[in-house]
Amino acid sequence: MEKMKLKLLYSDLKSDIEIIEKELERAVNSSSGLINDASLHLLQAGGKRIRPIFVLLGAKFGDYNIEKMKDVAVPVELIHMASLVHDDVIDDSNMRRGRPTVKSQWNNRVAMYTGDFIFARALEYITKLEDPLVHQILARTMVEICNGEVIQIEDKFRLDQGLKDYFRRIKRKTALLISSSCELGAVAAGVDPKTVRHLKRFGYFVGMSFQIIDDVLDIMATDKELGKPAGSDLLQGNITLPILLLKDDPGMQPYLVKVFAGTLTEVERQNMLRYVRKSDAIEQANIMSDKYLKKALQEIDALPKHPVKKKLRDVALFMGKRKF
Amino acid sequence: MNATYIQNSIAQLKTEIFMDVRHRTLQKYTGVPVLDENQLFYLLVPFLNGEEWQQEEREAAITVGIVYAALAAHDHIKELDATSKEQQLTVLAGDFYSGRYYEILAKSGNVALIRNLSQGIVQRCEHQIKVYEAEKRTLEQWYTSITNIESGLISKFFELYSFSNYIPIVEKSLLILRLEREWATYQRRQVTIMSRVLEESARYAGVTYGNVIQDKIVQLKTELLQVIDEASFLQVDVKQALQAHVEASIASTNG
Repeated sequence: MEKMKLKLLYSDLKSDIEIIEKELERAVNSSSGLINDASLHLLQAGGKRIRPIFVLLGAKFGDYNIEKMKDVAVPVELIHMASLVHDDVIDDSNMRRGRPTVKSQWNNRVAMYTGDFIFARALEYITKLEDPLVHQILARTMVEICNGEVIQIEDKFRLDQGLKDYFRRIKRKTALLISSSCELGAVAAGVDPKTVRHLKRFGYFVGMSFQIIDDVLDIMATDKELGKPAGSDLLQGNITLPILLLKDDPGMQPYLVKVFAGTLTEVERQNMLRYVRKSDAIEQANIMSDKYLKKALQEIDALPKHPVKKKLRDVALFMGKRKF
Repeated sequence: MNATYIQNSIAQLKTEIFMDVRHRTLQKYTGVPVLDENQLFYLLVPFLNGEEWQQEEREAAITVGIVYAALAAHDHIKELDATSKEQQLTVLAGDFYSGRYYEILAKSGNVALIRNLSQGIVQRCEHQIKVYEAEKRTLEQWYTSITNIESGLISKFFELYSFSNYIPIVEKSLLILRLEREWATYQRRQVTIMSRVLEESARYAGVTYGNVIQDKIVQLKTELLQVIDEASFLQVDVKQALQAHVEASIASTNG
């Protein structure tokens, strides 16, 4: 149902998205059979392709040309894909989107080389554009995403952290690449600097809202919907917003002790999920997500008059209210 | 130019690479980036030989060194102890170094080198992963892969900056050094993934691994000395340094 909604939302970009999908397949084509298999395994797992979509929507405010825009949209998605392959090595994850991860299907080294291959292909692609600003934006984003991941590892299993730590983390982990996607599309299409700034900020706020919802869904969705056990974030030591809001709750404490000791049983995991789902932490997290969403919509209001503004609003609202 | 000058040049390049990828947390858990001094030496050969070496060439050499450090970090990822903090941060160290090389070149607008190095990384990954593929390969195919793994990125840099005449020297030298290392490790009864596939290919060809590797090293050394001898673009002291470098590195590997 949600996937249908997403398809409908993207319907007028359908032909351009198909071009990007085909280009993604071409981009990961390799002389190594193993890299081909691993990359196609990743591509076939799907994904919402929200980053390429934001590249295209950002570019609509300027000189839109899909042949040029695909050289930005494809690398942005490739960077996202490659970081997921490496994240699965970091988290020792066996499942993603209901499919075995590259590291579990093959091994850690194969995952490392596949990720490096995809990262490099992304950069090779984007060098079709000579504008140094495009490269400076993407390079800064890649470094900051990495910094965010380092912070995430430092913050793992740390309950002495506050909301500021959480927001700092999700900004780098997710919001930056979405923000940069909007910015890159606009810069590549020659959009004026003021509009670029609003698009960049729009992407940032949408990204923050998106990640909060992602963290809520990790608790609220079923194992089947997630394609991995619900609560995986916490089991891996990542303290997400709902958990952060509940960390001092006496009813939550025993679960946290067991999670941190690695002794939480399957029954206890189910009980813990039920407890968090019933708490008002979920509602509070949704309210915070809505605040970011509202700010994103305000940025749309500040953009020049253009038919694509409605699309931006629809996509933002979908992302902030999605159920998967 | 003497050995001290070469060592100082390598040390300076190393310091500049370290400075460019400094990261408090990564250094605390993963140490300083892994750099192969042999690769750094060959990276600097055009400079040592007096080629045009301005800020752009210097920065290019630094970024090639950073890319090698990034890929070396990922070569250290193990299958066991997968969730140790050190291993997790080693994955990120490699990604961070990759981001930094891109950031440095983006800042100076060197898009051509970004393109060349990314193509080089793509090819290197394709060769690296061959050891995990089921396909049977000949020893010559493995030598091609090792050559790319060891010197492919330096070659990409040299191609772009019109130092292509140095490529055969770098390729042969680094191939010799790697084969020497593999053979020395094998003699200590330690098995690397590469020595395992080399041995398999030797067995498949009906030859003895030890004999075939040692013969190959002798053959490569003869060819290398001839290439160096015939390289009219090399200054005499650089020729001597190149010859001495291979001998010294082999001696230290064996010793």
